[in-house]
Amino acid sequence: MAADMRAPGWSCRLPRLLLCAAAALMPVAGAAQAWPTKPVRFVAPFPPGGPVDLLARLIGQKVTEKSGQPVLVENRPGAAGNLGIELVAKAAPDGATLLHVPAGNITINATLMRDMPFNWDRDFVAVTMIATAPNLLAVHAGVPAKSLQELIGLAKASPGRLTYGSPGVGSGLHLSGELFRREAGIDIAHVPYKGTTQAMNDLLGGQITMMFGALPVLMPQVKAGKLRAIAVTSKARSPHAPEVPSIAESGVPGIDITSWYAIMAPAKTPPEIVAAVAEEVRRILALPEVRQTLDAQGLTPVGMRPADFAAHIRRETAAWARVIRDANIKPE
Amino acid sequence: MDAFNTLVANLGIGFGVAFTFQNLIYCFVGCLLGTLIGVLPGIGPIATIAMLLPATYALPPVAALIMLAGIYYGAQYGGSTTAILVNLPGESSSVVTMLDGYQMARKGRAGVALSTAALGSFIAGCVGTLILAAFAAPLAELAFKFGPAEYFSLMVLGLIGAVVLASGSLIKAIGMIILGLLLGLVGTDVNTGVSRFAFGIPELSDGIGFISVAMGVFGFAEIISNVDMKGARETFTNKITNLFPRWKDIKECLPAILRGTGIGSLLGILPGGGALLAAFASYTIEKKLAKNPDPPFGQGQIRGVAGPESANNAGAQTSFIPLLTLGIPPNAVMALMVGAMTIHNIQPGPQVMTSNPQLFWGMIASMWLGNLMLVILNLPLIGMWVQLLKVPYRILYPAILMFCCIGVFSVNNNSFDVLITVLFGVLGIVFLRFGCEAAPLLLGFILGPMMEENLRRAMLLSRGDPSVFLTRPLSLTMLLMALAMVVIISLPAISKKREETFQEEAG
Repeated sequence: MAADMRAPGWSCRLPRLLLCAAAALMPVAGAAQAWPTKPVRFVAPFPPGGPVDLLARLIGQKVTEKSGQPVLVENRPGAAGNLGIELVAKAAPDGATLLHVPAGNITINATLMRDMPFNWDRDFVAVTMIATAPNLLAVHAGVPAKSLQELIGLAKASPGRLTYGSPGVGSGLHLSGELFRREAGIDIAHVPYKGTTQAMNDLLGGQITMMFGALPVLMPQVKAGKLRAIAVTSKARSPHAPEVPSIAESGVPGIDITSWYAIMAPAKTPPEIVAAVAEEVRRILALPEVRQTLDAQGLTPVGMRPADFAAHIRRETAAWARVIRDANIKPE
Repeated sequence: MDAFNTLVANLGIGFGVAFTFQNLIYCFVGCLLGTLIGVLPGIGPIATIAMLLPATYALPPVAALIMLAGIYYGAQYGGSTTAILVNLPGESSSVVTMLDGYQMARKGRAGVALSTAALGSFIAGCVGTLILAAFAAPLAELAFKFGPAEYFSLMVLGLIGAVVLASGSLIKAIGMIILGLLLGLVGTDVNTGVSRFAFGIPELSDGIGFISVAMGVFGFAEIISNVDMKGARETFTNKITNLFPRWKDIKECLPAILRGTGIGSLLGILPGGGALLAAFASYTIEKKLAKNPDPPFGQGQIRGVAGPESANNAGAQTSFIPLLTLGIPPNAVMALMVGAMTIHNIQPGPQVMTSNPQLFWGMIASMWLGNLMLVILNLPLIGMWVQLLKVPYRILYPAILMFCCIGVFSVNNNSFDVLITVLFGVLGIVFLRFGCEAAPLLLGFILGPMMEENLRRAMLLSRGDPSVFLTRPLSLTMLLMALAMVVIISLPAISKKREETFQEEAG
């Protein structure tokens, strides 16, 4: 499964690149403050078993192997992640408590949720982006459309008839659908679910027409012939499914969405510690066994510098704010 | 014949995998752990599997999944023990077992209730596993026939059936169902994202937890009200009769076990708490089918234990079908199993059956072995469990309360949930005093949100056309069944008979 999703050449090019980057930064890391010097707590604001939890555990294990300091992964689910995030916002800013969080909680909820018990700008400092995950637009196998253009044609032929599922109002996948609706100029109806699983069940059963979803979740169903892959949402094709075109290359250029998973720290954490954590994550992401695990889950390792990551957050938050305003989705 | 031969060959692979020394050990460890956490109130398979997930990194994938599966179905066995002995839902799906199981215990028939539950679970587990092996793929397709319209109609049928759960006043039962529906409204509305009745408390934005409600209205309330009923408690601990069912008991509950197994196998496949729904459905059917049961349901009727226990165990086995054949987890435990598979680089999906036949058939074979281990493990333990009733309640009850709190806390690692449980404990005492039964409340609480969600989704998909509920055959059938049930309840002759039964029960 993992093997045929890997792009030719990708597996050997990227590690060398990352290793070089890591090697170049080694002396800097040595001069900077050491981290961790005491036991660390990774707060994952979602239940165990999901990608956030898996990444936290994977990185935690490697931190312990090198430093000997125990890393505790604490799952604090609830209120769409806000309970766990609030916990870290109020934690001591000493690098001992760090937050593992997916993109949407930062870039979308900042605009969409009015009464959040924390403020990303005020309470947090960006540490690093761990990995990106491509999203896929897939339709039920019984839908006649074979390509993005055919799907748009189908939607235009019967306005308001086609439906797309999402794991909830205001989720990144819902907003992806809204963005697609607007950019392609079509009338498709949103059907919210309580989670990806439920939405996928109805997509497989043909109750809904299409769905945006994580590529590693949808791809097995595509390979089994139950769904048809229409396009990936990133600007370029994904190395995990190189045969699937991107939305942008299929004629709707305004869409470039990539999910990602990141680490954030309480706002007053000293910059040396933030840099040291980012450096440690970068080292871990270069380990071959870590890369293999990420690859098998359809994740692409990143390891950004704190300043670059902070800039990235600002850009994406502004972009989503525009989508939310244009689609007239009301903040809660 | 070909299909049969393939099945035998596949099961051969499976038993080859399951019968290795290592896998047998992990299967046993899983079953044992499952039984233990099932017995401990509140500490459920979700928290346990979550805690053990990182520990399985080091194991081979098949062994890891065999162990985790063992924890899940082992907990279904263990859950009935707490339900029967101390009227506490050890697992959410054992709520129904309490209704008659605890009453049996009060009459000194705790051992019989426990062994009936174990036997029913074993039969159901074996049948469920066989169904999983033989019909996994076609049954998974059946689950797709269930769209939002069908779910809505199923929920309507379930809610009307919930009235039957009550053994007391009909008005009070309906009142409790409605209260349950209202409690289910708390939290974020799926269709609009608007927060309802959360009063700005972030913890409430996900709704009230089922475990908190169940532990509160059943467990806490029972324990607190027992404190001022010293006499009643003393008497029922001292008269323990036979531990194992007599031939008459077995003859009586065998049909219930088979019916429960059938219902459980079917409902287990559906996403969203299939095993729990199955237990409720089985109880409803047994109560409807029984003519002049002696003792009546709600007062220690053995079929009220046998049916639901078989149903929840069969459901536990068949809930693996969507996971193993499609990679779709039907409940929170299965979602964790998906996590476990991805940790071991197995991408869950329709190809698991063909690309990892060792895993697929090995797990099925191990489930059958696991069920056997559970019976062997549980039957000798029954004597010990019954002795537990002799522990003075000044020691037993504080210990149970503590385990409840730990269990409730472990679900989200949040102390707010414990406070909610205490609140429902107080509410539960009020219900007890007024003679309002909590089981209909729980069913309303579970079904209500699912019913609303699916009603609105079905209407969204049909573009506001309500005829969708009548034009889809499966949906229409369930609505007609619900209508028939209403007619039966409201027909004068039958309802008079119902009144009579209540009189008897009250007396």
